[in-house]
Amino acid sequence: MSNFSLYLLVPLAPLLGAILAGLFGKVLGRAWSHRVTIALVAVSFFASLRIFQDVLDGHTFNGAVYQWMTSGDISLEVGFLIDHLTVLMMLVVTFVSLMVHIYTIGYMEEDDGYQRFFSYISLFTFSMLMLVMANNFMQLFFGWEAVGLVSYLLIGFWFKRETAIYANLKAFLVNRVGDFGFLLGIGLILMVFGSLDYATVFASAASHANDMAPIPGVSWNMMTAICILLFIGAMGKSAQFPLHVWLPDSMEGPTPISALIHAATMVTAGIFMVSRMSPLFELSDTALSFVMVIGAITALFMGFLGIIQNDIKRVVAYSTLSQLGYMTCALGASAYSVAIFHLMTHAFFKALLFLAAGSVIIGMHHDQDIRNMGGLRKYMPITWITFLIGTLALIGTPFLSGFYSKDSIIEAVEASGLPVKDFVYIALRMGVFVTAFYSFRLYFLVFHGTERFGKAHHDHHGDHADEEVAADHHHGLAPGQKPHESSWVVTLPLVLLAIPSLAIGYFTIEPILYGSFLKDAIHVIGSHPAMAELAEEFHGPAAKALASVFDSTLWFAISGVVMAWFFYLKRPDIPEKIKQRFHGIYTVLERKYGFDEFNDWFFAGGARLVSRFLWQFGDVKMIDGMMVNGTARLVGMCSGIVRRFQTGYIYHYAFSMIIGVFVLLSIRELIG
Amino acid sequence: MTYLSTLVPAYAEIFLLVMVCAILIVDLFVTDPNRIVTYLLVQLTLLGCALITVSTYQPGVVHLFHNTFVDDMMSDVLKLLSYLAMSMALVYSRHYLMARGLFTGEFMVLALFALLGMMVMISASHFISLYIGLELLSLSLYAMVALQRDSAVATEAAMKYFILGALASGLLLYGMSMLYGATGSLDVNAISAAISHGVENKQLLTFGLVFIVAGLAFKLGAVPFHMWVPDVYHGAPTAMTLIIGSAPKLAAFAFVMRLLVESMQPLMMHWSGMLAILAVLSMALGNISAIAQTNLKRMFAYSTIAHMGFLLLGVLSGNIDGYSSAMFYAVVYVLMSLGGFGMIMLLSRAGFEADNLDDFKGLNQRSPWLAFIMLLLMFSMAGVPPTVGFYAKFSVLQAAVNAGHIPLVVMAVLFSLIGAFYYLRIVKLMYFDAPESHVPISMQPDSSVLISFNGLAVLLLGILPGNLMAVCAVSVQQSLLLH
Amino acid sequence: MISFETIVFYLLAALSVFAAVRVITARNPVHAALFLVLAFCGMAGIWLLLEAEFLAMTLILVYVGAVMVLFLFVVMMLDIDLVQLREGFWRWFPFGVALAAVMVFEMVWVLGNNRTAETGTALVKHDADYSNVKELGRLIYTDYVFPFELAAVLLLIAIVAAIALTLRRRKDSKTQNVAQQVAVKRADRIRIVKVPAEKRGE
Repeated sequence: MSNFSLYLLVPLAPLLGAILAGLFGKVLGRAWSHRVTIALVAVSFFASLRIFQDVLDGHTFNGAVYQWMTSGDISLEVGFLIDHLTVLMMLVVTFVSLMVHIYTIGYMEEDDGYQRFFSYISLFTFSMLMLVMANNFMQLFFGWEAVGLVSYLLIGFWFKRETAIYANLKAFLVNRVGDFGFLLGIGLILMVFGSLDYATVFASAASHANDMAPIPGVSWNMMTAICILLFIGAMGKSAQFPLHVWLPDSMEGPTPISALIHAATMVTAGIFMVSRMSPLFELSDTALSFVMVIGAITALFMGFLGIIQNDIKRVVAYSTLSQLGYMTCALGASAYSVAIFHLMTHAFFKALLFLAAGSVIIGMHHDQDIRNMGGLRKYMPITWITFLIGTLALIGTPFLSGFYSKDSIIEAVEASGLPVKDFVYIALRMGVFVTAFYSFRLYFLVFHGTERFGKAHHDHHGDHADEEVAADHHHGLAPGQKPHESSWVVTLPLVLLAIPSLAIGYFTIEPILYGSFLKDAIHVIGSHPAMAELAEEFHGPAAKALASVFDSTLWFAISGVVMAWFFYLKRPDIPEKIKQRFHGIYTVLERKYGFDEFNDWFFAGGARLVSRFLWQFGDVKMIDGMMVNGTARLVGMCSGIVRRFQTGYIYHYAFSMIIGVFVLLSIRELIG
Repeated sequence: MTYLSTLVPAYAEIFLLVMVCAILIVDLFVTDPNRIVTYLLVQLTLLGCALITVSTYQPGVVHLFHNTFVDDMMSDVLKLLSYLAMSMALVYSRHYLMARGLFTGEFMVLALFALLGMMVMISASHFISLYIGLELLSLSLYAMVALQRDSAVATEAAMKYFILGALASGLLLYGMSMLYGATGSLDVNAISAAISHGVENKQLLTFGLVFIVAGLAFKLGAVPFHMWVPDVYHGAPTAMTLIIGSAPKLAAFAFVMRLLVESMQPLMMHWSGMLAILAVLSMALGNISAIAQTNLKRMFAYSTIAHMGFLLLGVLSGNIDGYSSAMFYAVVYVLMSLGGFGMIMLLSRAGFEADNLDDFKGLNQRSPWLAFIMLLLMFSMAGVPPTVGFYAKFSVLQAAVNAGHIPLVVMAVLFSLIGAFYYLRIVKLMYFDAPESHVPISMQPDSSVLISFNGLAVLLLGILPGNLMAVCAVSVQQSLLLH
Repeated sequence: MISFETIVFYLLAALSVFAAVRVITARNPVHAALFLVLAFCGMAGIWLLLEAEFLAMTLILVYVGAVMVLFLFVVMMLDIDLVQLREGFWRWFPFGVALAAVMVFEMVWVLGNNRTAETGTALVKHDADYSNVKELGRLIYTDYVFPFELAAVLLLIAIVAAIALTLRRRKDSKTQNVAQQVAVKRADRIRIVKVPAEKRGE
């Protein structure tokens, strides 16, 4: 098979699966639906592997597949850019997607929307692949919106639940804000470069470095404006502060998609996009500083929120937010390859954590409240050990994958030349502690300590509105019932994901960060020295792990773990006391810094106010009254008049033809 | 080389004529319950024609019968599409006509005769053959409209169609005779050569042109020669409306190309001005009148008028892009109109015509799939991306912009916006209104499968229009440059 | 000096125009039809002047002899109330006349304006033994064989259409099928039914 058809095969195989499962799901039945989709995603994965080898041999590709249309000088086409960055993303996406497909067989076993679910996740895989394989902004935007759409559909998968509807509406609206910026960014690029093709844009980027944006009254650097607008898009998709509010709520969706979409792949689209645009971002220090600060805020403050959550999935969700913040910081420090590296390791261990959490949820009969768990280690050994691996990777235990990527991020920020780096550096170091603390809090509460399940759990309801509603759906374990280990379709993906979570960092840090792997895909200019400095200090993965003993970062993490152990295993009464003592802070955290309230009050309320005005005046009076109804009346009137010509009398018709000839004759005279 | 082998390019026409005569005789021995035999023979004939046209394809332009017949790529493509359209129309019509006792041998024979007329028009390179082809087509259509003798509306429609058609033929012939007077020939190539060498009496030439354009406009149904369209579309049985509204538009496009472009390209300045008036009037009147209609067939009739305005817009751009986009538009229009009328017939049953807008209320609840197909068709007619209708409109507009007809383009966009209203109204009726009838839709396997393909083709061609567009561009280019 | 032929041409042309006008203005439909015959005759005369004898004869034979006679039959057999049909004729007459006048004006202007030189080639005079029919036949079977064959198809369509539209088997017509009557068997007509004996009513 030629390379070209191989490239096509990668996205089209999942699309075919989505079509088959979606349109013919009833005919295929449940078993065949999952067989078909899994087989096709597997095809996609192996094709990606094949392409990976090919790319390692130096066969990159950049070209159009199909030209959809041309308008003036701009041609809109479907095209693939296959280089090291793309192929890395393709592997991550197809591998995690494959795991999630298999896992879903077990997780969605009893759901009515079985085929629909498979169709959606295959469709998502297709969209995500189109996004990463794009060689132009048009297709990027297509993939961007398509993954957003599928995410929207999946968050609201259980569309009979009020909270799911609320959550998907929220995700939709918040993402619109981001997409608006993104679209404006693309528009600016089109205006400045006159092209939507990556290669063309990047090639002439440097020559536009000092253009000024044509915004009256403000003298903005054009590149800064473009980059910040693009980054606003990334903020929406990758849930960066302050557009992060949708991600925790997106946990309303089934757990497999939380793993696939809201942890491993889609939310990292923003990170991927910024890395891809590195030739543009490199040209604007302002934009890079902005990126870094946003990332730091997200990394630290979202971590705090993880500490007080009681829903197992929400804890993992906040940790995702925090880790995305880390990646963003790496982007800001011009260490794009580090961001991609962390993206990859994070995809594995966070997918692992989510799927393991899902396994716990299955074991607990869809009770997600960690206060009802404890001591699950005995009952779910595989889940326990894999979850532990995921957690250790997350907090950055030396030799595990998360360690290499996260530590590199912190070092890269330290080495960055941007003026904001000190603040960011401190925030990230604190973040390490916080991450370790909430991760192990979760781990201890779920797998160790006293067994709290099997009680009537209704008295455990929190006072939080969301939980209250969500709890209606939870079944929980009946008194006396014991949790049990999940079936092999669930544990197999856990084991398969645990392996890269353990080892992938060790083996890939050298080629990805310091080798030539991403050299052609990512562009860093000389005045951003972070990567160069890192490379000087790097003496192999083992040495790096050993050296971390002398680095305070590791001790931050360890102290976090110890503190979690002390608070939640040794002296479980302390957290309660702290909660009462520092009630104010607790409330702030519980309200998630009040973002939801603020959004509701300011945006939703303000929008309602503005829209009421627009509706009353603009819509009812101007548009309905004058434009729409006016036009409609006018057209209706014309229509009535014209209709009268159609008398039905044949001599009128003939007469009209003669008039026609007469008109044509007169035109002839006019033309001469 | 024997004489027969020189006739290769015309084999399809000859085969069709032979088969029609054979079917006429076979049909005598077939009783009403076995009419399917005739039907299958007809479909086989169409298939045979397609095979012959494909297998006798040769690059370049071949003239035959003393320059009265021409075989080029444009004619091959248009013929193939005409077979397809006719075949689809017959599939859609079968059950509809059977339920009304109109599924007769005569109907099918007349349909094939009409097809023969179209083929002659498509391949004509002489005004006489062009005219005879037109009459073959028209006469068959008049008779088909009148076939439902017990229906007063159908008879009235046939009468109007016939009389006005005769008037239009008169105008056309008059124009042709003027042209003959001015150039001394009726051969397309000879006329073209004479005009480019300079004619003594140019006034006479343009005078003839006026009448030719009038005749063309009647055939296309452009305002103010459109009056027959709503009455005939409405009055004729839907199966006949489908046949009138589909394949003949391809022939009409060929007619325009042969008459105006191939023979009178140097007079472009004159005819493009006339076409501009016709196009604007058609788009305006078609779209505005369609809004006031409550009958779907009548609405489609007005929408046809508007679509023909668009087609003319492509032609009057006067360059290869314009002609190929007009050809693309004609093909797309045929596809959409097949689907639209096919849907009406699918929803109709014995004694009931589903041709009122109200009959489509709540279709989504009765049959979500059909509603979805109809949605695609309506979106395409309205020109909503990513359906093919959008691309067709877009390419026509682009060609017109490039030719500098900015005011025309602005008007075209405005009127198609108005037009979107009545297409979307159907979508609204289907999805947001409660159904008035709960009679189950009797889905015939052949026509429901076909309509699914039809609807999906509209979508698929919209996403991947490149190949069809390329075929149109190449065939137009070939037939213009090589002549 | 005006030639004799020119005088004849103008005479015939005037006759034709007069007859054509009378066709639409005559109150009696039979008169109108007869005026149409007259117009045809005038046209046939003009064709004769152009040495197109065959066409002139055909016009007389086919149109005057066959078509118009048929037409007259129909007109006489149908009781058409022309007065009612022509209602509104005079109301619209001025519009029609105005439009016609403008058209005529334009045509005259176009065609008359450019008579600077005698356009068109002069009529070729032929010898006495020249056969118009033969020439026509030769053309039809060589240069124009394609349209000619198609014209035959056109007639075929006309036949099919005419039969399809007029041949009508009435569903309510009562006809005898003698063969069927003869071939009838007892079993077709008689059905023997066993009726159980009923008891006397109470």
